[in-house]
Amino acid sequence: MKNDNINHAEAAAAFLQDREQARWHDSAIWWVRQKRDAQAKQLPEWEQLRSLAQQIKAHTLSRLDEYLEQFQRNAEHNGVSVHWAADADEHNRIVHGILAAANVKKLVKSKSMLTEECGLNPYLEQRGIEVIDTDLGERIVQLRHEPPSHIVMPAIHLKKEQISELFHKELGTEAGNNDPTYLTHAARANLREHFLTADAGLTGVNFAIAETGGVVVCTNEGNADLGTALPPIHIASMGLEKIIPRLEHLGVFTRLLARSAIGSPITTYTSHFHRARPGGQMHIVIVDNGRSDILGNDDFYQSLRCIRCGACMNTCPVYRRSTGHSYSYIIPGPIGSTLGPSRDIKKHGSMAFACTTCGSCSNVCPVKINLHEQLILQRKRAFDAGTLKPAKKMGLLAMRFLTRHPSLMDAGGKVMRKVVPILPQTLTQHSAWSRPGRELPEMPAQSFKEMWRARQEKKHD
Amino acid sequence: MTSREQILANIRHKRPQGPALPDIHAVPFIRFDDLFAAFSNLIGNLGGSAVQLQPGESVLDAVRQRWPQHGRLVDLTAATQPQTAQPHDWHDVDVAIVPGEVAVAESAAVWVSHADNQWRSLYFLTQKLVLVVPRDAIVDTMRDAYDRIAIREHGFGSFISGSSRTADIEQSLVMGAHGAMAALVVFV
Repeated sequence: MKNDNINHAEAAAAFLQDREQARWHDSAIWWVRQKRDAQAKQLPEWEQLRSLAQQIKAHTLSRLDEYLEQFQRNAEHNGVSVHWAADADEHNRIVHGILAAANVKKLVKSKSMLTEECGLNPYLEQRGIEVIDTDLGERIVQLRHEPPSHIVMPAIHLKKEQISELFHKELGTEAGNNDPTYLTHAARANLREHFLTADAGLTGVNFAIAETGGVVVCTNEGNADLGTALPPIHIASMGLEKIIPRLEHLGVFTRLLARSAIGSPITTYTSHFHRARPGGQMHIVIVDNGRSDILGNDDFYQSLRCIRCGACMNTCPVYRRSTGHSYSYIIPGPIGSTLGPSRDIKKHGSMAFACTTCGSCSNVCPVKINLHEQLILQRKRAFDAGTLKPAKKMGLLAMRFLTRHPSLMDAGGKVMRKVVPILPQTLTQHSAWSRPGRELPEMPAQSFKEMWRARQEKKHD
Repeated sequence: MTSREQILANIRHKRPQGPALPDIHAVPFIRFDDLFAAFSNLIGNLGGSAVQLQPGESVLDAVRQRWPQHGRLVDLTAATQPQTAQPHDWHDVDVAIVPGEVAVAESAAVWVSHADNQWRSLYFLTQKLVLVVPRDAIVDTMRDAYDRIAIREHGFGSFISGSSRTADIEQSLVMGAHGAMAALVVFV
């Protein structure tokens, strides 16, 4: 579980202390963004695909209750048990109930941000069930007892040396062997044993098809497939916004998901689960946990179109330079910075300010969520809810006063342009501009307004 | 009121206006001049390879050409279907030969959904996966593929594209995360 008390700016400042690691993090994630661009450019229809995805999701949200009911009918017709959870606690109780009834001792899990959101692992562990996360990145952060720092690449904040050290301690790999292939295959051997001895498997859901009553899970590793093909029980946990109306719509979403997420044309495995395997059980838990409330909010309901690709965080200049661990909500980056504050503005208010309003997130989003616009609206809520630090609040109030009094603003600018250049260095040293590698910009002779006026006069001459 | 009723009532009360469903077939998608070439080039980067059988050549010939030495081999395209008592029993399979229905040029993915295979675990436990696809069953995009597949009674199907892989350690691509370490697609 994540610590709700994280303040983004403070946590980011701490992360940036290690400049080498920070630079590496930035460039590793930017590389994924570039791979996404290369994939998008190969498809002449890319922008039309985004529009189709946006329209399908927007349509689905407008009739979400009908599609959920259709989904349940069809799933039950296939012999799948469907459960409804109003909140995280009910989700955890349902999952535990299924496992306890079958006397399950070991559960293998594939990646699911929803179960992170619900705090499922500690809930089950406290009740004596061993939970093994099987996605390699998730396994790494599970062994380190920390939350994932990215929704698609959970361990992207770590260097291979740290993982080597962890695996040496936990899996008995050679000390000092940092080779990613060696480390991955050691985890493969270890996790195979867990797959073969697990009593149940739990997966997330990428898409739930109303028309057929089945769910689709996408992985590159194959962990969701092994985790559901071996144990007799499969539980799939899904947020209620994962619904799509028809099977054919996957012809749009499977083209967008992996290209947006990791710059691959598709994930290795795109698996469609419609029935339990012979002699087994399949359960689907549909979770609300605040989603239906967001649906009723004109400013923020679009965030429910999200397909969790992570493209918005890969492109975000703030995310790349602060890591997911600097965000208080379990989902970081631009999409998390609207979902978190929507859930609880008092806890997650600082996330709304982890944004330069550059708009890049909205431009890469495969379902065209107006992310940067939502973050500006969340800032207003954060201010109104009194979550700002006093200095930030005073700064904003002063700025508001100035922008409401243009003549004062002009006069203030004039004074700054004259005074700042003659200030002794000791006075400017403690500003944000005084850190290594940054210099105070030179003050222009004229304000923008003055330049504009002069230009207009010249034109009319 | 149950949670189900509560959730549905809340959605009914709050749901926003939305557009009609778009016609996803109205937009022209990319087409490839040479479908096999596109498929074959792509799968090379995804931990796999693709071949077209020559006259007189069998699938087993192609498999042995790729892996002259191999361990336990299970062939689901053979006349007699091998089966086991439980899904775990495939754990020591080295090569699995399985039928694929549709191949997709844009993603190097192959649809597997085999009604006669009691345990789907075979696709994921095997070290090397061989997918056998009719050569006229390659389509351009995932949209075309979904037009051709059916969700069957046995309830499982998957698009598999190359080998199992991960880049979770420092973004270094490693083949063989949990599933097959290598994939071979044979067009017959």
